[in-house]
Amino acid sequence: MGDFKFAKDKLAEVVGALKDYEVFAPAAVGDVLRFKEVEDASSVSFDFKNTNVPPKELMFPETETLFKFRVGKTDIEPAVPDESKKRLVFGIRPCDAMAYTIVEKLYSWDYPDPYFEKRRESSVLFGLACSEPVPNCFCTSLGGGPGSEQGLDALMFDLGETVYVKTITDAGDTVAKAMGLEAAADAEKKAAAAQEKDALGKIKRSIDTEGIPEKLPSLYDHPFWEQFSDRCLSCGICTFLCPTCHCFDIQDEMEAFDGRRARMWDTCMFPEYTLHTSGHNPRPTRKERTRNRISHKYSYFPEKFDVIACVGCGRCINYCPVNIDILDILEKSKQAEAKEAKTA
Amino acid sequence: MSEEYEPNILAFLCNWCSYAGADLAGTSRTHYLPNIKIIRVMCSGRVNPLFLVNALQQGADGVLISGCHPGDCHYLEGNFYARRRFMLMRKLLEHVGVDPGRVNMSWVSASEGAKFKEVIDETVAKAKEAGPMDQFRRRQLNW
Amino acid sequence: MVDETILREKAREVLARDDVRRLIGWKRGTYGYESAPAVLKDASQADELIFDPTCVQNPASFITLEEKLPVPRGQDPDTRKVAVLVKGCDSRAVVQQLVEKAYTRDGVIVLGVPCTGVVDRRKAQKMFGDTSEPVMIKEEGDKFVFIIDGETREGPRAELLADKCVRCRFPNPLVYDELVADEVAVWGADEFADVDEFEKMSPPEKWKFWEEQFSKCIRCYSCRNVCPMCYCLECVVTKQKPQWTRRSTDVSENTAYHIQRAWHLSGRCIECGECERVCPVDIPITTLNRKMTRDVKELFSYEPGVDVEAEPLLSCYNPQDPEEYIM
Repeated sequence: MGDFKFAKDKLAEVVGALKDYEVFAPAAVGDVLRFKEVEDASSVSFDFKNTNVPPKELMFPETETLFKFRVGKTDIEPAVPDESKKRLVFGIRPCDAMAYTIVEKLYSWDYPDPYFEKRRESSVLFGLACSEPVPNCFCTSLGGGPGSEQGLDALMFDLGETVYVKTITDAGDTVAKAMGLEAAADAEKKAAAAQEKDALGKIKRSIDTEGIPEKLPSLYDHPFWEQFSDRCLSCGICTFLCPTCHCFDIQDEMEAFDGRRARMWDTCMFPEYTLHTSGHNPRPTRKERTRNRISHKYSYFPEKFDVIACVGCGRCINYCPVNIDILDILEKSKQAEAKEAKTA
Repeated sequence: MSEEYEPNILAFLCNWCSYAGADLAGTSRTHYLPNIKIIRVMCSGRVNPLFLVNALQQGADGVLISGCHPGDCHYLEGNFYARRRFMLMRKLLEHVGVDPGRVNMSWVSASEGAKFKEVIDETVAKAKEAGPMDQFRRRQLNW
Repeated sequence: MVDETILREKAREVLARDDVRRLIGWKRGTYGYESAPAVLKDASQADELIFDPTCVQNPASFITLEEKLPVPRGQDPDTRKVAVLVKGCDSRAVVQQLVEKAYTRDGVIVLGVPCTGVVDRRKAQKMFGDTSEPVMIKEEGDKFVFIIDGETREGPRAELLADKCVRCRFPNPLVYDELVADEVAVWGADEFADVDEFEKMSPPEKWKFWEEQFSKCIRCYSCRNVCPMCYCLECVVTKQKPQWTRRSTDVSENTAYHIQRAWHLSGRCIECGECERVCPVDIPITTLNRKMTRDVKELFSYEPGVDVEAEPLLSCYNPQDPEEYIM
């Protein structure tokens, strides 16, 4: 596809030139970054690493109304997302975009989810390649990388004074033209390639995922999980901030005679998640819950969809308050497995 | 809105003193403001501060908790616990930026029908001064 | 200064006892400026234990986090003790848990660790940046010496100490069976200047501040779960019938959650600062707790977590309690 560029100090003009799109970009509240709809194009900046809350919330919001209803009436008022306006996600990191391609498999399987799909279809993703990966990034171990193009429509490289834009799909090309970008020269392409190589060298952490999906089930009852689960708080940080975690709860919220059915993020780390009406809980302790989180990502999901449900963004490691490190767990699982194999 | 703002007040009255006091106000034909909705509880000590937060969420502009005078509690000490609790809750709400005039407490005995009227008048006046409670009211349903 | 060999030796002795089930302390984290809480079950693991300014976590939180499953018929419940390493602030959590009868004094073995302050990860990250290797931190006079990726860096102690340590009045454990080092001198004082500063704001300003903060909340409940005083088996915010707080995240429900949390901790918060440390979206949660702590002290001359014999604040009363707000 095409190669474009624009001067970085023209960022506001470039974003502002798009009239037919709702633009979403990272915005800060204090030190916390998350994707928000851009109201003022001059507030858009490339000066960030990873957002605290992943942009999964653009396709799968924290809380969303599915439909509204009124007691005593038979008709309901569905709240299907409005697709009349195209959405542009500006500055999404390659790992977060790759996460969409993973979650998509689930949301389009079996019973397609109209809410997720409509948002995904109407969105154009303009990625921003990483020049300074965060210390706990390990995307390269999972088929991603600082310049990975998976799921993106265009990828931007911040080269200091200019921004090189490489369009990947027709949709990306259309948007780049609507922005009025000029064509890029070989110099920018080379600089972008050099930047990607440099960024690759800065990724310090990694895991060899070979064999993990097949071997994890054999460790189902292994005591090594307790090393981690004993200090787990059972909070929702790792799953809520995970770009590929996709579980939700559905609740009816009533106010006198009006109500809505809403869905909101849920997490397998809460004991309530698996609590049966009878009072029985199949995952009564933190051991089962920790095991489920890791096994779902690295074993159950790949079994069904042939892809590990992890993109290596490092959020669960960065934000876990008790240092439960997914790479450490996987490393220890390999050791435990090797030990088992030896004694067997 | 051209009409004058009329606050919604939720009152938790204890069964033994304040509810009887309200009853007396009614039977003696004392006119008190109609902004108040009464919930009868067995004791002011029964009122969980959670009720108060929930009331403010669901559209109350002010809350009144009323019990027996100290020492007169039917259960001997329920109102002493309530006094501590709501003292702290008021302070907390104030810290979050909610007008403390929305949280009121009073001691009204079964014979104080006239005092009950005064309490209601004052509660309503304070809530009027504070204006509509729009800070953390539930708005999930905007039809 | 705490000698880690003595600490490990004492821990080993305790873990070797037949009547001890587990020991909770700290071990080296896998990256960055914080240690990891360690739950050890065997004396051979005692060498994993550390104590240095990276040990911010409150091990007392993990005593009550352990799930108690129903004991199968015909089996006896495991009544062995839990051993716990505590800094001064952490020991207040143990005191308060004992006051509330969360467990009995016989059920725990407390190893006290006199502490000279721990480093705030956020402050250190701002000063020295992130790293994917575990950082070693030592205290030298009024400086902290860091070893980050093999490089030695220094920073002033006053600027890097966690907020709770700046105003720490209890560096030495208040309850213990054994101390692993000599007691240290108290350096801090607490005048609640931060609360006074906050209260200068007008009510609309206060609400504007909290509205922004609460709207960030993703309701992961890490602040609740990490809190050593939040150990209820069933929490009102996750209860479904009746449902007091809805699960949807918006300003209304988030505010209701935070008010309830702060309220339930009034007269119980022992100011270990864990809630604010764990928050993934940086909500200044202790600001609410500090306000309650100060008011409880002023109104009822009560301080939680200092006296094992005390009665919990809200399950007692004084007929002379202030009541100027009551009509």
